[in-house]
Amino acid sequence: MASTPRYPIGVRALLVEEAARRRRIETRFIDALERAGFAEVVLPIIDYVEPYAEIVDRDSTRKSYRFIDREGELVAVRSDFTPMLARALAPAMRDDELPLRLFYRGDVIRCEASRLGVNRELFQIGAEVVGDGSVDADVATLRLASTLVHEFNGRATIVYNDVSIAAALIERSPAVATALANKRANGELPDDLRPVVKKLIGGEATIDDVEPFAPEAAARLRAIGGALDPEEFALHLDDFDEAIGYYTGIRFRVYGKGLLARGGRYDNLYSTFGQPAAAIGFTFTIDDLLE
Amino acid sequence: MRIAIPKGRLLDPVLRLFAAAQFEVPSERDIRSRKLVFNRRGVEWILVKDSDVPVYVEHGAADAGVAGFDQILEHRCTAYQPVELAFGHCALCIIGGPGAPRLEEQSSPKIATKYPRIARQHLDERGLHAEIVTLAGSVELAAVLSLTSHVIDVVETGETVRVHNLQLQEKICDVTPRLIVGKNAFRTRTKTMRELIARIEEAKHATLQSQLP
Repeated sequence: MASTPRYPIGVRALLVEEAARRRRIETRFIDALERAGFAEVVLPIIDYVEPYAEIVDRDSTRKSYRFIDREGELVAVRSDFTPMLARALAPAMRDDELPLRLFYRGDVIRCEASRLGVNRELFQIGAEVVGDGSVDADVATLRLASTLVHEFNGRATIVYNDVSIAAALIERSPAVATALANKRANGELPDDLRPVVKKLIGGEATIDDVEPFAPEAAARLRAIGGALDPEEFALHLDDFDEAIGYYTGIRFRVYGKGLLARGGRYDNLYSTFGQPAAAIGFTFTIDDLLE
Repeated sequence: MRIAIPKGRLLDPVLRLFAAAQFEVPSERDIRSRKLVFNRRGVEWILVKDSDVPVYVEHGAADAGVAGFDQILEHRCTAYQPVELAFGHCALCIIGGPGAPRLEEQSSPKIATKYPRIARQHLDERGLHAEIVTLAGSVELAAVLSLTSHVIDVVETGETVRVHNLQLQEKICDVTPRLIVGKNAFRTRTKTMRELIARIEEAKHATLQSQLP
């Protein structure tokens, strides 16, 4: 009997030319990361679900492939490198070794059934700076992401914001989340927050406007903004993600011809695995650079 | 900029709104020509089925569009919804077939709907169990012909419900058409998208003002 001619949805083979092209990009990418002082780590393709239960939100859970292994344990196929790196690194990390500059490469599998045409198997390369919570690390990471796009003769636009601003506002009133997600102020907003939320949505808000609600984030964004070219790095104070996951500070997206990479700061992730350390990083989906 | 416009009952009021916002929109003759893409002064208008607008915008094939809240929910569309339009208001409801009890009292309930995801989510939230039958149109007929005990569908005037002796049992949510703007389009072309939002908002208010007695 002939075998079925198709693959499961979301995976495909790269034949000779495509494979060669991906490897060329990968090589250049890795060279650039190594020149910037990053060293490689290799992470497993499957891991237990249980260690991540505390940090993985419901949406990410739904997007991962899970199954029971032969020992009867629930395991998941890698869908996000960042928590895996934290789990691998935290127990072995020594303070005098920090900061660590690390990169990883490999496939992640995400089941995004609602997103037609979006691959489920994605080849990614990511870089992280672990143990450095400074503004300089934020600036250097944003700059590195931009350099990597330039490596491929691309013009990058990097949109960034700090997730702690929205978090601070939502803590005062959950209605802020709906307003920011829709970009429309609704009747449920409390009077004391209405002006700032309306300014955010209308694109008129400045760092001064959010400072009373999130002073630390405001100071940080001022320092970051002062160090970066606003033509390439755009601060969008109204940018908002309903699921902020493990992010605690700056969050950014890198656009070239389409979305190429995402990243941000997650200063509480390592403490989940027993060793506190500030961290920031980003992940490029390499096939998005091919197109 | 590419804008996705829904064919069907929203087409005329949506085109009127964009015209009021000083956009050069495709004419009636253009639309009758069966073409689906129209270039007018830097804007590419695409005409798609109403349920497809969120799909085009979500995936960046269109920068913005007009979609009903029902379709936004069903497609779990994450686009921004900056303007709620002033026309085409209706509600998503649970409708019982002739003589059917409420869903929670129905033994082995079956629900016909064009919105299987919304239906599933609503049932889960209410802790109810029912079999969902996905249909593409004329959903009420399923209850009229006893294919299912209940129907989840949008109700505008309630005329269909009355004519067929069905019963409006519960409102799930209000449904309004909204201007939707893709997140990536907004992030990368913020100025253009903000201008679009402002013009539509303004045209909406101007239209509402002119309708005042």
